[in-house]
Amino acid sequence: MRHPKTRWTVVALAVVLALYLPGPLPDAAAQKKGGVLKVGNLGEPPTLDAHWTTATITEVLTNHIYEGLYAVDARTQPIPMLAEGMPAVSKDGLGYTFKLRRGIKFHNGKEMTSADVVASLNRWGAQSTYGKTLYARVAEVRAVDAYTVQMQLKEKTATVLISLAIPNNFAAIYPKEVVDKFKPAEKATEWIGTGPFKLVEWKPDRHIKMVRFDDYQPRKEPASGYGGRKVVHVDELLWLPVPDAAIRVAQIETGELDFADDLDLNAYGRLKKTAGVQPIVAKPYYWLVAVFNKKEGLMTNQKLRQAWQAALDMEPIMKNVAGGHAELYRLDSSLAFAENAPWHTKIAGLPWNEKNRDKARRLLREAGYKGEPIRFMTTQEYKWMYDFALLSKQQLEDAGFTIDLQVVDWATLVKRRNNSKEYDAFTTGMGNFYDPTHHIYLGPNWPGWTNDEEINRLLADLAGETDYRKRFALWEQVTRAFYDRVPVARYGDLFGLRAMRTHVKGFDTTLMRPRFHNVWLEK
Amino acid sequence: MTTYLLRRLLALLPVMLVVVTIVFFLIHLIPGDPVAVILGPEADARQIEDARRVLGLDRPLPEQLLRFYARLLRGDLGRSYFLDRPVTTALWERAEPTLVLMASALFVAVLIGVPSGIVAGAHQGSGWDRALMTLALLGVCVPGFWLSLNFVYLFSVRLGWLPVAGYASVFQDPVAALRYMLLPAVSLGFSQSALIARIARSCMIEVLRQDYIRTARAKGLAERSVVYLHAFRNALVPVVTVIGITMAILIGGAVVTEIVFNIPGLGRLIISAILRRDYPVVQGVVLLTAAVYMLINLVVDVVYAFIDPRIRYV
Repeated sequence: MRHPKTRWTVVALAVVLALYLPGPLPDAAAQKKGGVLKVGNLGEPPTLDAHWTTATITEVLTNHIYEGLYAVDARTQPIPMLAEGMPAVSKDGLGYTFKLRRGIKFHNGKEMTSADVVASLNRWGAQSTYGKTLYARVAEVRAVDAYTVQMQLKEKTATVLISLAIPNNFAAIYPKEVVDKFKPAEKATEWIGTGPFKLVEWKPDRHIKMVRFDDYQPRKEPASGYGGRKVVHVDELLWLPVPDAAIRVAQIETGELDFADDLDLNAYGRLKKTAGVQPIVAKPYYWLVAVFNKKEGLMTNQKLRQAWQAALDMEPIMKNVAGGHAELYRLDSSLAFAENAPWHTKIAGLPWNEKNRDKARRLLREAGYKGEPIRFMTTQEYKWMYDFALLSKQQLEDAGFTIDLQVVDWATLVKRRNNSKEYDAFTTGMGNFYDPTHHIYLGPNWPGWTNDEEINRLLADLAGETDYRKRFALWEQVTRAFYDRVPVARYGDLFGLRAMRTHVKGFDTTLMRPRFHNVWLEK
Repeated sequence: MTTYLLRRLLALLPVMLVVVTIVFFLIHLIPGDPVAVILGPEADARQIEDARRVLGLDRPLPEQLLRFYARLLRGDLGRSYFLDRPVTTALWERAEPTLVLMASALFVAVLIGVPSGIVAGAHQGSGWDRALMTLALLGVCVPGFWLSLNFVYLFSVRLGWLPVAGYASVFQDPVAALRYMLLPAVSLGFSQSALIARIARSCMIEVLRQDYIRTARAKGLAERSVVYLHAFRNALVPVVTVIGITMAILIGGAVVTEIVFNIPGLGRLIISAILRRDYPVVQGVVLLTAAVYMLINLVVDVVYAFIDPRIRYV
């Protein structure tokens, strides 16, 4: 039998505990308004035209200025942003009707209507990597009335919503006048969106200044991932290009910056010990990859690619690239990141991270390889690329390969990789792909030119299929085919490092790329 | 003098023509594609071709060169692929930080270099001489970027006296400008001061051996006026040459300093332009640098005439 006093003690303890447990986000009153948030990033964006480039820096900046009809939430699923809700889909699956939110203002004061949306989507469909892929299946996009847009497809596909929602090279909605002024192939140089921040000044090499957009209408749903309710608490968001990584670290240490992105992984230990600084591990970042030239030269030989895959021992490579910090890398064979839960595969027994030199030697023999030098192209501009290329070279040569490591600058690498005569393999990183059909390295149009009959067929099926479970089964088949054909060698997942001062509050550290709405300064 | 100046200025033109032509071919010889960089790593071959057409990069090289000359004659340096503005605007925006940096670094270099050279030269073999010359040797040997990073670590991160990096305009906020400029100016100026000090010292030593110095001493003049009135002015000509050379070297040194201290000047502009193959910007910066370099040479030659009345230009 319980003593009544004990019961009261338990209740009291529970109350006290409850007070300490992380509760819901503090209410608006607790969030301070005002201040200038200074963010250090690695340089100048090639453009602020979101339709134009897949460059990460452009993605980060433009998502503060513009919005699309949809955005991806914390579970990487599309949720409505400028669209009122999910679209009405016709019975045959070919017609999508989007209702737009009313009273949404552009930064120039104009109200957003279907005319702006139709013009913007068509421009995105003509220029963006993801837009072009979707528009291959689109028959027409038209305005039904001022707040309704209809998209008619030629063939069924499950990728409409996710394509409209992905944040990279994204389907940003511009005012029609801007679209009319800048043809798809020309970079737009007027940057007007509906986003929570308004661009006021871009002075190259000095700063990009954004301010709170006072006419912004937040959604009612709670914030999730890149979508939901967005409230801007700071008066000004100042992006400072700081190309030297060591200086970015020093500036976050001294408090000259409130937030610094893309930091040298070696600084992680030091930042953890610095008072007033909170290091943030950005997941996911990239999985490291050696892309093989399958159009011409030595690596057209599948056995040779399999030998490369068999020879690699990921642990020492990844550990070294991550500056020795176990928190900064992960070993995983899935082609989709663990954070992208709907597409993350867990297939046992794949020939990944085999560290099997004998198998590699056998495959080399079967391939008839006689020690011809394999031109492996990398760059020091991205230290992690150079590091993993160098460590790979060592492991591969131990297994009998001859690697001619060609270190060039990034601009040279991205040019040469389009020419099948100039290389056998090159390094790069693969970011998050929101849909299986977006994995560029599996298709024939991207450097390396994977053109595998089975993979092509599976991807075509994936594009046309709309049932998630069937799509996932197809995706698993793609993964198996991938590890057999080895179009590219997948290494481990590398995480990014960013840091903020502890007076920066409300930042969602789980995001792959930073967003500064809902963030306030407590100082 | 006027005809001399005119002749020298006219002589700049063919040199500039050669410079821009060489630079044009050099930058195009480096492999690399601005378009592939702009469009991002996921862009496919077709997109790249389309964008090359828009920028005129699909034209044959000689045609691109002729178009470049034609624009140049109209005073148009072209348009930056990345910055979405004319190159002349981009240059103009970045001229101030670089000029301020060079002027402050030169000030530091002369302030340290000339007096220490004179003191060392006047007291050859003394403890002062040895100490100053060891310091000068260090200044010449230590790479600028290493010195900069250590300055940052000591004065900004550890002591917190000065900001790590950045820039403020002298015309808008002189105090902030000084705080930002101090470390870059000292780290850039220090190594140059070493060069100036060594030249000033050897000139001083040479001049002090001349007959007229012996005469001055024999007249019973105070050592102070012998050194500072008689010797110093005569030792100055080579020192001015070195200061001129220093300015030219500073243009190069400014590149590294601007990167480390995040100063939005011409040095940072050309580095990012080279890395991204922003051809018009690279050509613009080189053209401007070459012009400045030659003008400095001209100014140095003219200044000789003022210091040494025996030098006359016709």
